[in-house]
Amino acid sequence: MFVAIVSHKILIQYISDENSQLYTFTKDILFVFVTGIIFKLVLSKNDSRNITIFEKLKNSNDEIKESNEKYDIVAKATSDTIWDWKIQDDSFSWNKGIESVFGYTQDQVGDNSTWWFDKIHPEDSIKMSIRLYSFIEQKTEKWQDQYRFRCSDNTYKYVLDRGFLLTDENGKVIRMIGAIQDITKQKEEEQRLKLLETVITQSKDSIIITEATSVDGKIPNIIYLNPAFSSMSGYDVDDLIGKTPNIFNSPNSDTNELQKLLLAIENREECLIETISLTKNKEEYWVRFSMIPIYNSENELSHWISIQREITEEKKQEKEKEQLIRELTQNNKDLKQFSYITSHNLRAPLSNLTGLLNLIEDIPIEDQELKEILDGFNKSTHLLNDTINDLVKVIIIKDNPSIQKEAVLIKEIFENVFSQLSFQIDLYKPIIKLNFDKVSVLNINKAYIESILLNLLTNSIKYKSANKKLKITITTNEVDDHAVLVFQDNGIGIDLERHRDKVFGLYQRFHNYPDSKGLGLYLVKSQVETMGGTINIESKVNIGTTFTLTFKNKQ
Amino acid sequence: MLDQILCIDDDPITLMLCKKVIIKCAFSNEIITSQNGEEALSYFNNIKTASNQNKVIQHPQLVFLDLNMPVMGGWEFLDYFSSSEFSEFHNIKVVVLSSTIDPEDLQNAKKYPMVIDFLSKPITQSMLEYLKNKME
Repeated sequence: MFVAIVSHKILIQYISDENSQLYTFTKDILFVFVTGIIFKLVLSKNDSRNITIFEKLKNSNDEIKESNEKYDIVAKATSDTIWDWKIQDDSFSWNKGIESVFGYTQDQVGDNSTWWFDKIHPEDSIKMSIRLYSFIEQKTEKWQDQYRFRCSDNTYKYVLDRGFLLTDENGKVIRMIGAIQDITKQKEEEQRLKLLETVITQSKDSIIITEATSVDGKIPNIIYLNPAFSSMSGYDVDDLIGKTPNIFNSPNSDTNELQKLLLAIENREECLIETISLTKNKEEYWVRFSMIPIYNSENELSHWISIQREITEEKKQEKEKEQLIRELTQNNKDLKQFSYITSHNLRAPLSNLTGLLNLIEDIPIEDQELKEILDGFNKSTHLLNDTINDLVKVIIIKDNPSIQKEAVLIKEIFENVFSQLSFQIDLYKPIIKLNFDKVSVLNINKAYIESILLNLLTNSIKYKSANKKLKITITTNEVDDHAVLVFQDNGIGIDLERHRDKVFGLYQRFHNYPDSKGLGLYLVKSQVETMGGTINIESKVNIGTTFTLTFKNKQ
Repeated sequence: MLDQILCIDDDPITLMLCKKVIIKCAFSNEIITSQNGEEALSYFNNIKTASNQNKVIQHPQLVFLDLNMPVMGGWEFLDYFSSSEFSEFHNIKVVVLSSTIDPEDLQNAKKYPMVIDFLSKPITQSMLEYLKNKME
């Protein structure tokens, strides 16, 4: 237009008619040229704008595509159940999770919020709805809560529900979208861990957990201590975290034990020591102390668990016990020595008396009175000698708890015993029945069994019935790997109802006989028991007495 | 019959009894007595000195030894007597004659080869008969 007007003006002013043809041509050329340039300009501008728009469209398209892809991936990967609540008309929709996670089929799922609330555990629903409505009131952006959600099979699942609000342009809440995550497994694990944790927190044993490795050869630093440890040591948690348990050491701690512990830590081995520790107030206490290396799933040492128990009282008692045992052992030794010395001192003059009396026997004595006196002297001396010899036997038995045993023929022992008692046997001529068919050999100490049978036989003769002929029956039997020897007489017996407890006691006499010392049965029982056997008595007054001796008859 | 015998005991009655029984049995011609181990050792020392001066002095063939004695007891005596100092007397036999009942004493006696027996008091004629047989 501008070119056309300018050309026209030029035509009117300058150009003559003859030139008008050239002029028109030139003007057209110019006109076309200028228009071409302008077009070119406009087109290229448009073009570049179009390219930018296209690029933009393409980008946003890509983003949507990518986002969709991402959503697809996430939707597949997540087990979340998504819900969408249009609050105004209370319409509620669920994604497939409501079926796959909670088991509700499409036709079971309600389409309003009541259905949702209805599925929340009664104990959780009030708290949950209060929090939810206050959130909607305040219109904050995000909301999350944990509650139990009922499944189609009426079991409950712990869920974590997270949601956000959508508002319209006026800021009015119109929609809420949420995602429910099934956290039942985590919750159960959490409860299991809580339960396990109580073992540590409630334990009366002190427990500390330390780092895996130590610096400068000390016990590794503490990362946890339980309340029991605090109350035992007097240290608070803050006092000890990051410190080495070496601070518990006392100058009186057993350095050997501590070395043992440090070596075990170096070698990553379990270790148990007992040592003296110090409380925060520098009071000493005894502690039994274990260090157990803990390895993680990669089999690397991750830390140490140390379980400690205060044993101060135990140690004290142990010490007292040791002291008591030492004293008793010493006392016992002293008493034994005393009894040897006493018996020696008694026996020495007594042996002189016996020796001198032996000499007198060969000297004829005319004086009747002197003869009687010497007789009494003789009898008393021999009785005293017998008593002391029996006592000596008791002392020696008590001093030798274990003795030599050998296989002994019972018949031979009786032959020996009878020959020693030949005088009495000739005098009273008792009926003696022996039956060793069942068991003829005893695994026993020969001297002891001789002494035992000598005592029992002497007793039978001594305490025989005045108006019956003495009858003694001795038999052996085998019962369950044990040899049983039964010794039976028809003598005056012992009133067991009165004396059962005392029959085998020391210095117990049940009959007023001048030469009974109250030692025989005590000695018999001691000897039987020293050989690992047992002895029982049955007796009836004026009917007789039965002794049952039982010996283990195996080597 | 032995020519000479030495009884070591602190108890004079025991010594008297020994003498009487030994005489009665005609067990030995001569009976020497000592009150304790030390006295007995000095008796043997005297014999040693005498023999160094070329005097021939009879020495006992058998010793009856008590264990519990003041000044020097039987064990101490045996320790000295069995040392090399008294080696010329090591053919002399010793019989421990004691009232002890301590089993350790019996074990202890076995350590000395010269101790041929361990007998319980009192000394008796049958005991001497037994020793006579044993020494022949």
